[in-house]
Amino acid sequence: MTGIEALNVHCGFAYLTVPELFRGRGLDASRIDNLMMTRRSIGLPCEDPVTNAVNAAMPIVAALSDEERASIEILVTSTESGVDYSKSIASYVHEYLGLSRNCRFFEVKQACYGATGAIQLAAGYLASGVSPGAKALVIATDVALVDERAEYSEPAAGHGAAAVLLGDDGTILELDLGAFGNYSYETLDSARPEPTFDIADVDRSLFAYLDCFSNSVADYQSRVDGADFLSTFDYLAMHTPFAGLVKAGHRKLMREQGVRKAAEVEADFARRLAPSLAYPSIVGNLCSGSIYLALASLIDSAPLTGPARVGLFSYGSGCSSEFFSGVTGPEAKQALGRLRIADHLAARVEIDFSEYLALLAVNRQCLVPVADRDIDPSTYADVLACVPDRKEQLLFTGVRGYHRQYTWG
Amino acid sequence: MTASTSPRQEVEAAFHEIVTDILPELSPGAITGDKHLKALGADSVDRVEIILALMDRFGVTEPMASFSEIPDIDRLLAFLTEKRTR
Repeated sequence: MTGIEALNVHCGFAYLTVPELFRGRGLDASRIDNLMMTRRSIGLPCEDPVTNAVNAAMPIVAALSDEERASIEILVTSTESGVDYSKSIASYVHEYLGLSRNCRFFEVKQACYGATGAIQLAAGYLASGVSPGAKALVIATDVALVDERAEYSEPAAGHGAAAVLLGDDGTILELDLGAFGNYSYETLDSARPEPTFDIADVDRSLFAYLDCFSNSVADYQSRVDGADFLSTFDYLAMHTPFAGLVKAGHRKLMREQGVRKAAEVEADFARRLAPSLAYPSIVGNLCSGSIYLALASLIDSAPLTGPARVGLFSYGSGCSSEFFSGVTGPEAKQALGRLRIADHLAARVEIDFSEYLALLAVNRQCLVPVADRDIDPSTYADVLACVPDRKEQLLFTGVRGYHRQYTWG
Repeated sequence: MTASTSPRQEVEAAFHEIVTDILPELSPGAITGDKHLKALGADSVDRVEIILALMDRFGVTEPMASFSEIPDIDRLLAFLTEKRTR
């Protein structure tokens, strides 16, 4: 059955604790509770959307046989951190992953929804049977640019990528093909109008997210006979700008489904949603990879002893959204466990607020189009050397004649 | 015998009850109609909770996006009074 064969994330080499960022910015610490986050990943200047994508996907690609690798005939990168107006991140990723030249690659953009749109279209292509045995690799990859102007959104920003390999063997998640619901309309709730900063209207964005959640679930229920938000899904995994919003969204849906007792709502949240929030709460918002980080968190954290249906909600500002579903289980837990995502997240190196400020000043130039630029990864050896058991990974070394340069190290 | 409560007064009373429940440290005198919920110290999740609770109480079925441009509490209460179904 068509589905997710493999899933991996790369969430950088460094992290900052949320209380440390609140302290440094002078933010009201009483608000940390509603944020429901403890850490956020911080990028190094020798990382960019290309390295994040490659470092997330390489463990998946490296585990494939030559024949399997050659069967990847679609590579899509999804990002709101484009590095060129014309040339895709996918073109670089294709090269450094060593994929077949008989492969189509391109990039999609729709804020935090883009990857899900690509996955749904690719899954339809694979299921159509026009190319038996084919696989598709969709990689959501982004970097954070926000600074103190983002106020309480700054502690929620993440850094990294999620790689999703689709094919005939849905070991991680067998997709319920045809079971989906959408809700989309034009709004300016958040955007990245220039390569150095984001803008956001917090209320407009949160309210759009919540409207889209209700309406995409309603559309799903109208398409799928007998579908019921309360009983059809054993677990839920959602786009997670911050875990507190996911909790508010869940409470809204439960009320709309007639569940009003606080204890019942809380118990359902703890049982069906909390497993998906463990990783997002220590990484931050991975943009269109966020929902797949949540899925990885769910599979690694939940006690999967048999087949379990997961309802997934994807939302991207602007805004486009989708609620869809699939079936995971013990085999997914075993396969994902081999990638040791929790260990890699634990291996990130803690930095303090002053180190964060120094990195941010350089990171905010990451996407600025320049002909030439030098980045020396050895400048960040103090962090890279502290990551235990770090395997060779792709690092960004700068730009030559607008061509981005990378090295393995 | 007390005067009957107007629909607007009912909304206002519920608003005070819900806000002080979600923001227990807020002094009642701090709630004035010219303020935005942010000025009461409500963070984004608090604002979501306050509006959802009011929508639930009064059977308001408007999209949440309708609330994103309301500039102050006076106009929030007026909107809820206009859209209430119970």
